[in-house]
Amino acid sequence: MQRPVVIAGYARSPFHFAGKGALVKMRPDELAAQVVRGLLERTGVEPADIEDLIVGCAFPEGEQGLNVARLIGFLSDLPLSVAGVTVNRFCGSSMQAIHIAAGQIQMGAGEVFICAGVESMSRVPMAGFNPMLNPGLAERFPQAYVSMGETAENVAAKYGIPRQRQEAFALESHCRAAAARAEGRLREEIVPVRRGNETVDADGCIRPDTTAEALADLKPAFKADGTVTAGTSSPLTDGAAAVLVTSEDYARAHGLKPLARLRAVAVAGCAPEIMGIGPVVATRKALARAGLDTGDIDVIELNEAFASQALACIDELKLDPARINIDGGAIALGHPLGATGARITGKAAQIMQREGKALALATQCIGGGQGIATVLEAVA
Amino acid sequence: MTITRAAVIGAGVMGSGIAAHLANAGVSVLLLDVPGGTPGNAPGRRNALAAGAIQRMLKADPAPFMHKRFARRITPGNTEDDLPRLAEVDWIIEAVVEDLDVKQDLYRRIEAVRRDGSIVSSNTSTLPLARLVAGLPARFVEDFLITHFFNPPRYMRLLELVAGPHTRAEAVATIRDFADRHLGKGVVMCHDTPGFVANRIGSFWLQCAVVAALDLGLSVEEADAVMSRPVGIPKTGVFGLLDLVGLDLMPRVDASLAAALPKDDAYHAIRRPWPLLERLIAEGYTGRKGKGGFYRLDTSTGQRIKQAIDLKTGTYAAAAKPVLESLQMSRSGGLKALVEHPDRGGRYAWSVLSQVFAYAAAHVPEIADTIVDVDRALKLGYNWKYGPFELIDRLGPAYVARRLAEDGREVPTLLRTAAEAGAFYRVEGGRRRYLEVSGDYRDVPRPEGVLLLEDVKLASTPLARNGSASLWDIGDGVVCLEVHTKLNTIDPDVIAMIETAIRTITGSDAYRALVVYNEGEHFSAGANLGLALFAANTGMWPMIESMVEQGQKAYRKLKGAPFPVVAAPSGLALGGGCEILLNADAVQAHAESYVGLVEAGVGVVPAWSGCTELLSRLAADPKRPGGPMPPVIAAFETIGMAKVAKSAFEARDLGFLRESDGITFNRERLLADAKARALELAADYQPPAPAELVLPGPSGKATLDFAVRDLRAKGVATEHDTRVAAALAEVLTGGPGADHTEPVPADTVLALERRAFMALVRTEATLARMEHTLETGKPLRN
Repeated sequence: MQRPVVIAGYARSPFHFAGKGALVKMRPDELAAQVVRGLLERTGVEPADIEDLIVGCAFPEGEQGLNVARLIGFLSDLPLSVAGVTVNRFCGSSMQAIHIAAGQIQMGAGEVFICAGVESMSRVPMAGFNPMLNPGLAERFPQAYVSMGETAENVAAKYGIPRQRQEAFALESHCRAAAARAEGRLREEIVPVRRGNETVDADGCIRPDTTAEALADLKPAFKADGTVTAGTSSPLTDGAAAVLVTSEDYARAHGLKPLARLRAVAVAGCAPEIMGIGPVVATRKALARAGLDTGDIDVIELNEAFASQALACIDELKLDPARINIDGGAIALGHPLGATGARITGKAAQIMQREGKALALATQCIGGGQGIATVLEAVA
Repeated sequence: MTITRAAVIGAGVMGSGIAAHLANAGVSVLLLDVPGGTPGNAPGRRNALAAGAIQRMLKADPAPFMHKRFARRITPGNTEDDLPRLAEVDWIIEAVVEDLDVKQDLYRRIEAVRRDGSIVSSNTSTLPLARLVAGLPARFVEDFLITHFFNPPRYMRLLELVAGPHTRAEAVATIRDFADRHLGKGVVMCHDTPGFVANRIGSFWLQCAVVAALDLGLSVEEADAVMSRPVGIPKTGVFGLLDLVGLDLMPRVDASLAAALPKDDAYHAIRRPWPLLERLIAEGYTGRKGKGGFYRLDTSTGQRIKQAIDLKTGTYAAAAKPVLESLQMSRSGGLKALVEHPDRGGRYAWSVLSQVFAYAAAHVPEIADTIVDVDRALKLGYNWKYGPFELIDRLGPAYVARRLAEDGREVPTLLRTAAEAGAFYRVEGGRRRYLEVSGDYRDVPRPEGVLLLEDVKLASTPLARNGSASLWDIGDGVVCLEVHTKLNTIDPDVIAMIETAIRTITGSDAYRALVVYNEGEHFSAGANLGLALFAANTGMWPMIESMVEQGQKAYRKLKGAPFPVVAAPSGLALGGGCEILLNADAVQAHAESYVGLVEAGVGVVPAWSGCTELLSRLAADPKRPGGPMPPVIAAFETIGMAKVAKSAFEARDLGFLRESDGITFNRERLLADAKARALELAADYQPPAPAELVLPGPSGKATLDFAVRDLRAKGVATEHDTRVAAALAEVLTGGPGADHTEPVPADTVLALERRAFMALVRTEATLARMEHTLETGKPLRN
């Protein structure tokens, strides 16, 4: 990139089950605002220098509707001079926010951006309150509206991912997340969230006690004779995440501590009925732009919408499972749609720095048939 | 004094069940049990027993809570750390182990912390009040009484109340009134005698019924067949009841009762050791909660076969349907034909009943002031249709007295008095009166404010009547429409009576409001399916079409009538019964109302305006999200999945009841509350303006179709479910012409309802569903 762009900070809220977790009663705008405030405090960035608050959200309506980014700006006491824009690319929304910021920096349209994402799947249902499909499209091209669970089954069938493998993958995700939490590797990124007198400071979705037997007992969740269960799917989750994106020059000049530099980004489309394979095309494109090969990547954050889709991507891209989601993935941690992109990009940067690695990849699949990918490199 | 905060000590089955029911009534409850761990441990550990009980109740079926949300009204605690908090409550209920020392020790600790004026009661079923308060301070004795709940506390309507000679009259009045109005209980004032009333008579009955079955050589199935429906006793009969309550309960109740009863009590004479019962308990056959009891389900062959035990050999064999001529005769000849029949069924019935009759008659006024108390206790506590004295009246007291004398048995004085007077109960001047011990008749007392159709009927004749429904003048210008078909299903005669009601009230000077209400077990199980199925099987489609149209028209007239209509359901209000609620201006529901539009279960859609009205209500609810889809999605789920609310509170959640609709806990106060609501509405009544609905049309239909497709893939929806759901989606989204920029008149949706119904009723799969449901009472998943 002509003007190097860095991730200069990462923070997120605890993630909790939608509908029954600790954040059910928490408004998403307030949740995101607390994370933004946490990020500002931790990075020490000068708020007046922020050009824009870019917020990803997959179902931007209700309490996360209007232009929620602007409202989060008010709620987090950002100076009124900081603008706000809401971005929707479903699950890829907040990774897209980072790409937009990088592009703005490239064209000299700002130096400092907060790229956040939020989703309360408790308070705004998936598909929103008023899903109204185009009847003509539904008739002619029903894949356009295919359910996510069905795509997970389609991917499992097409790429030959048996149930047992999916369950082993899900179990590993929980083990890694549980270990990361136990060893305090998640503490650094989590902003304790306050609601009234209560403080929520830890994740709620991880099941450290889950077993292969427990997973094997679950019924298929989406298809009577299918292989995908609730245990091998990411749960409906409430959460928010944010990263600070700046030009490298700004970061250096203002004493920020960059975690990673952006090397390349990409988005790509694929068939909607197998949307889970989206990371494959997007990753290939991004790596090609970076002049790299999958083997070069040390740290990978591959979003686990479903175990079947994550495994299919691993197989197709020939990725090394030992390098993927070492602190656990979305099956264990949760997947608040709009927030996940910022989480996995920030997390990839954080892990790369922590482990002293050179190159990282964050990628995810997107409903409707898309993939998005970000390649990061170490800052010297 | 009103009760807003209470504490229950003892989180066992009864204590936690009482706490749940107090929570149902809106009371904040502190539920305490002995602490876990050691002082200073986390509250989770200290309060584990109470917290665990709350969690268990959230999963229990039948549900102790009327709404899961109410569990939050209970705060778990323990009897060490939280005892001082008893100072915060108005009523403390002790429900700990039946051990006098344990209870008295607890009372002393309670007495040290509770505040002046609070009331303490025990849920004991075996210990006399006199012993419970012996040696305790005067303040405690004055504030103490026994409140004996029956299991499960939410569902069993009886509450036995025992006050001591020193109990403050105001404390008794407070609990009595609260239990009546807020807990919905039928309160029976009992004397401080062993077993109080219901269990005193009930245990005697059960013991007699077992012993007589053994002596007269009846099988388990025969005894249960005789000692149930023909007598007006629940179908569990004798041995089925023991299985239900647990076989191990019997020896415990027996021992405690025997120890407490005076030596000359007739109960002692009928007791005897029963080795089979001891063996069954020892082997884990403790009834339904164990491996089985007198009945068990044998699944060894892969099928579920109901087996019954042979009382002589103790071995199980497939349960047989009893063949007894006495049972046959009782069908037409009633109770008298049963007890007069010489076969073992008839001899059994007479043996058991005559002993119970004599026992009951000999113990009034020892155990309670009046025969009415005894009858109510057995009806509300044991679910008998008639109390012992009402049963005697069915045979005639003179007849019972004569046969007792013929048997060479003692005829109790009270029975002799009744034989001379003619009956225990009689109707005089339109009022039901009962026989006092003195030989005088007095009006059966009704708590203040209770209005029963039963009483109206004694005092008047209907304004109109046909085979299925009647109209009654219930005073103050209010008319009551009573349905009285089997399960109170809706048939053309009911529809005709709705029209009659509207004609009677419209323009009348005498009448100004209508209440739809009956005193059957169920408000209405829905439209009469049998008629629809018969018409369909004989191809009489115009007849079905007319039934749909006439029903819809009559229901809409209820809605548009120039006077207020209040529906007052209790029990089931399903399908066409639910649609009466939906077309009423207000609903006053008994808390135990089970409401749902279940038409999809039999393969059709609601067509007496259920779809239209549920949509309207959901759309008008300001607490739901805006936009054209939320009401459509909610109605689609509720109707499509044939959801049935398990209480009036759940019915409110589903949109069948509005926020402004009332809920009555006491079944006997339902009509009075409904009437009051009707009169309130009658002042300045304006009928609702014709409604318009904002519906999404094809865009919404496409959305719902996708949801159904997913359910089908998941294996949740069957093939015919998909078809029914598609028809329902068409109705709820307003049809192909609808668009959310242009409201649709209600009449359009009503026409869609009728069309969808007619299309579905012509399918084989729908007819198969109807037939199956009529035969088995269960839905067919085809």
